[in-house]
Amino acid sequence: MSPEAITESELSSEKAAVITENTGSDKSFFGKSASDFVILLITAVTMLVLDIVLSISYYRSSSAPDLRWLLALVDIVTVLCIFGTFGGRVKHMLLSMKLALTLLFVILILAIVGTILPQGENVANSTWVSNPLYGFYNHIGLFDMYNSRWFLAILYLLGFNISFCIIDRLPTSFRRALKPRIEVKDIFIRKCPAAAAFEGAGEQGVAQAKDIIKSHHYHLRTAESGSVLAEKGRWSGLASIAFHLSFLLIGLGAILSTTLGFDQRLDIPDGKAAPVPNTELRVLNHGFNMETVPVKDGDRITGYRPSLYSSDLELTQNGDSLARKTITVNDPLRYSSSNWLLTLITSTKVNFHQSSYYQSPSGGYVSVLQVTYTPGKSLIYVGFGLMMIGICSIYFPHRRIWFKADENGELILGGRSNRSRVSFQGEFDRIEAELRLTLGKQEAG
Amino acid sequence: MDVSTIEQILIVATVITYLVSGSIYIWFLISRSDKAVRLATMLLYLALLTHTVALGLRWADSGHAPMANLYESLSLFGWGIVFFFLIAQRFYPVQAAGAVVVPTAFLVTSVGYVFYTGPEPLAPALQSYWLWVHVTIAMLSYGLFALSFGAGFFYIVQEYLLKKHYKNVMYTFVLLLSTLGLVLGLWAGSKLANPAKVMDPVTRLTSNVYAASDYIKIIGGGVVGLLIGMVLGYFAGKGGSKPGFAKRLPSLDVLDEVSYRGIAFGFPLLTIGIITGAIWADQAWGRWWGWDPKETWSLITWLFYGGYLHTRLTMGWRGRHSAILAVIGLIMVLITYLGVNLFLSGLHSYAAPGG
Repeated sequence: MSPEAITESELSSEKAAVITENTGSDKSFFGKSASDFVILLITAVTMLVLDIVLSISYYRSSSAPDLRWLLALVDIVTVLCIFGTFGGRVKHMLLSMKLALTLLFVILILAIVGTILPQGENVANSTWVSNPLYGFYNHIGLFDMYNSRWFLAILYLLGFNISFCIIDRLPTSFRRALKPRIEVKDIFIRKCPAAAAFEGAGEQGVAQAKDIIKSHHYHLRTAESGSVLAEKGRWSGLASIAFHLSFLLIGLGAILSTTLGFDQRLDIPDGKAAPVPNTELRVLNHGFNMETVPVKDGDRITGYRPSLYSSDLELTQNGDSLARKTITVNDPLRYSSSNWLLTLITSTKVNFHQSSYYQSPSGGYVSVLQVTYTPGKSLIYVGFGLMMIGICSIYFPHRRIWFKADENGELILGGRSNRSRVSFQGEFDRIEAELRLTLGKQEAG
Repeated sequence: MDVSTIEQILIVATVITYLVSGSIYIWFLISRSDKAVRLATMLLYLALLTHTVALGLRWADSGHAPMANLYESLSLFGWGIVFFFLIAQRFYPVQAAGAVVVPTAFLVTSVGYVFYTGPEPLAPALQSYWLWVHVTIAMLSYGLFALSFGAGFFYIVQEYLLKKHYKNVMYTFVLLLSTLGLVLGLWAGSKLANPAKVMDPVTRLTSNVYAASDYIKIIGGGVVGLLIGMVLGYFAGKGGSKPGFAKRLPSLDVLDEVSYRGIAFGFPLLTIGIITGAIWADQAWGRWWGWDPKETWSLITWLFYGGYLHTRLTMGWRGRHSAILAVIGLIMVLITYLGVNLFLSGLHSYAAPGG
């Protein structure tokens, strides 16, 4: 492999994207040939028409299932097709960190707006209801921001962006961690962002450099030719990928849970039974129990508030008792099938949470349960784990220093870091200074 | 005299001692007198002792760790600030930082005392061991972000000092303190205007329940707060814009590094905080994320600091730009920690706790 090729492959993908984009701009039709442009245009128009038709038919039918996630997906593909026709290459857009940061910023702003505007049932109490444009605002999802189609679309685009970046970087990260290049050409070392050279230091200098660089906690490997690679934070690239992969897993888990799972409120009066929605189970409330504490104003008792409430639940199927437990707010009943392996993989657990309670008009308490089934939970928890492992990559950037004595007996060093380049430059400068001092002493002695 | 009265007396004594100690620390910055710093440290140890006893009494009286409402949480936060500062001061020469840290502890603890409520047993939703895990981690991350903010703020000041832009030093202090004054003033004004606790201020604004006189109170509160902040900022800026002040501040490199380290350690803690919160929410309510204002704002903060780390680690931002981001970051943290509870989430299930 030629030294130029090596340097190019070492370049970050963003830089590579800029280079190709610049060279391609002199062609007609935004850097595309005429036939490419026509094909892309037809695809984009088709997608746009499909998007509009789907939207209209979805919003017209009142009883359609919740397909916002699908509409959001169509939106994204449409936008990408239009960008592909009139803008640069979709691949470069999807690979750029600028897009990621822009999307993060947009999500941030929308999230802020969502906490200021009343959301969900809170709208009913606000002046927004009497606003002449209320219907329109409601239609575009201003009062259901986090479930609106365009908020989902932005999340999906971020998901695509992250996935493409992961796919793009995976081979390089694996190669760097598992099969690092020890043997490199002189020109590669000289072209590194941090580089130094010592004339006449020779093999003696290489030995000195080994000692000094090792004292900076680097792990050394020597090739047969005498070229050395010193590195630390070898797993940093993979950890960073694990971190970004965790977003995808959590997102995927969330999509699975909302599309396949359910989250429903179930009101059961004391001593009554009710069928569990979406299942063949029945749940029987053996008894609702509440403990209260007095609320005091000074020494005067002004009222009572609950300190603990619980429901004694029994779960049955076709008259057979499956499980029984007294649940409290932080201690739900989780029922799963007897196959533990299947449970672990698909999280096929139905959960009964003690949500709240109220007094029924006919006397007695009604226990309010939240019944949930979240099939994506395992994925989400794996995502949490990966996120925690991956976050460590902040502290351990992958730093590499190659050094060798070239044909003229000159000691050359070249260093790269995958991030925090400035502080790496500082470390490299210190190593260089120490080396200069040692080599100088030897010359004098 | 019952336990809560003794506790309140101790807290008031603590707050006053923090104020005195903080003033001496500021005096130390100007006079460089060793006697002054010894006196200030001694007072600070004393205040920490009374604060510890007050928190201990609270713990014993309510039967749970003091982190279940805004008063307990802020008081504990103030205690944490002083505790870690005293440890740091034992091992590093950071006495000068006391001029900022101790007044901050005073502000946090005294604002906490404003929200004083008597000891109460935990609400059912909070009865979980996740409470202290989640709250402690979240508070540690907030503390680190505050540290990062402080270093970032003084980075901006130091840079102006070194460039001899003394007017900008003045403006920086005035901007900081007048913004703080404006927010506190608006909040106090809205409390005066409509003391009903049923609705949060934002819902109230959109629900049209204010009369014209209420708006006068709110705006008046804002104006008064703004003016007080500007005057304080003027004096702080006057003291800070002297050429000699630059020598008392750490170097730009150190400030930049401290500001970055605060976020580099705060971000993973915030991540753990959000994850433990999600796991807890899943256990209590069967959903791990619900776009509740507190959750959403913690996500906003997280995204913001994630962006900071990207600009810093992969795009190579440093110095002034990073410092400005660290300053803006604390605004997000304050909204997450306090703003949501005070201004937004009157209708939400965990509006009362300050975690």
